[in-house]
Amino acid sequence: MHDLLDDYAQSNALRDTNTRLKLALGLGAIIFCVSSVSPVAPIFVAVSMGLITIMIAKIPARFYSKLLLIPISFAFFSTVVVAFMHGTGNPLFSVDVFGFDLAIREDGANLALLLISRTIGGMCSLFFIALTTPMIEIFSVLKTLHIPDSVIELSMMIYRYIFVFLDQAAMIHSAQVMRLGDSGLKNSLNAFAMLSSVLFLRSWEQGERLIVAMDARCYSGKLDLTNQAAKAEPRAILAAAAYLAAIAAIAVLTRNIQML
Amino acid sequence: MHIMEGFLPHPWWEIWFALSLPVVAYGVYRMNLIVKERRETLPLLAVSGAFIFVLSSLKMPSVTGSCSHPTGTGMGAILFGPWITSVLSMIVLIYQALFLAHGGLTTLGANTFSMGIAGPLVGYLVYKASMKSGLNLYIAVFLAATLADLATYLVTSLQLALAFPAATGGVLASFEAFLAIFAITQAPLAVVEGAVTALMFKYFIQLRGDVLVKLNVASAGVIQKLKEASL
Repeated sequence: MHDLLDDYAQSNALRDTNTRLKLALGLGAIIFCVSSVSPVAPIFVAVSMGLITIMIAKIPARFYSKLLLIPISFAFFSTVVVAFMHGTGNPLFSVDVFGFDLAIREDGANLALLLISRTIGGMCSLFFIALTTPMIEIFSVLKTLHIPDSVIELSMMIYRYIFVFLDQAAMIHSAQVMRLGDSGLKNSLNAFAMLSSVLFLRSWEQGERLIVAMDARCYSGKLDLTNQAAKAEPRAILAAAAYLAAIAAIAVLTRNIQML
Repeated sequence: MHIMEGFLPHPWWEIWFALSLPVVAYGVYRMNLIVKERRETLPLLAVSGAFIFVLSSLKMPSVTGSCSHPTGTGMGAILFGPWITSVLSMIVLIYQALFLAHGGLTTLGANTFSMGIAGPLVGYLVYKASMKSGLNLYIAVFLAATLADLATYLVTSLQLALAFPAATGGVLASFEAFLAIFAITQAPLAVVEGAVTALMFKYFIQLRGDVLVKLNVASAGVIQKLKEASL
């Protein structure tokens, strides 16, 4: 049940590196990926981010490769549409479906490849942030960015309760499966509805108790955070800047390269 | 339905951010007003946000066999109204991107717009309209949750079509193609989520009808009547 990226964010080898630096690196790579007009830079980002995450942050390679399967189904469906609907030029492949001539043409296929590479590059950079940066550190960065206090407060409490409810949901689910609650569609729908409603009511009651508990501790509408992150080493800043510059250079130099 | 990281190209991801941020900001403003008046709402909103996240991380029994997740947007809109739901959705979407690898950061604006704004708004309006016209509460909830899901899926398809118009037929042809291909998974999912949400309300009413009254979802009289009918 617990298969959250957050578990690794707490224990990876880059845990204590400066948060802003990690965020800047990840976000910068994502933005270069999305802006690149050829698939070369996103592929470079995907490979290098993958290596950084596995080799430097020491995330198990097997877990990481499983993660990469998540975006595949969405990417597949959407790129198929793009490939068929887009483009002029030589048809590379065509089928006749109920009298419609469906063809993948050259620039349609190019665009599809570009999209897949951007998605994978973007996901690898997102995984880098998700797997190396604990949420609490991100909160303290958000605080300095003048995000409204109530929003940060809300996010922190949501974060806290996600784990409580995941455990409860897992327990209720195994209790239901043990009693054959998942046999047949009708049973499983009913069981699912029961699980979610009980979960909501339990969380509501938990919330009511939380108010009392926080009031008892003089909660003033603001939880304080200490910023524990280490200062960024000049060496690390230089490496990150060089990396981002390399991506930008690759994106600019390869802007005319097409895969097909 | 989440748009993955990296899928929306340059002008579009910024445009969707520009469209969703004002709505979310208005939601924050509304939320601050309520919190100022009744401080106990913030923890309650927080547990509800966590609930929406957990709900969306559970696999729902599905007809097509594909792995499908409920969105919880229809339910959020019925319980909290569309504005506050937009704030909760945006936070939940960030967590989904960072913890579950669903969606992404550049596509956050587009996803917030489809799942946190368009869907809840439709769900909320449908729910209010059906309650006003005297429909049974369960049917109203079913319609609201189903149509909220369908609206989300329409908007997502539109977002993709606008970013990738077809060579012949333009945005419209591309829109139809995205609709058709995602209908395979999304249409059954919407109906299932509608049914599940309606069933959830049955349990809400049996166990803690007073919470629904407190949230202004239905009047105490309606809840009492439904409670008696289900016994």
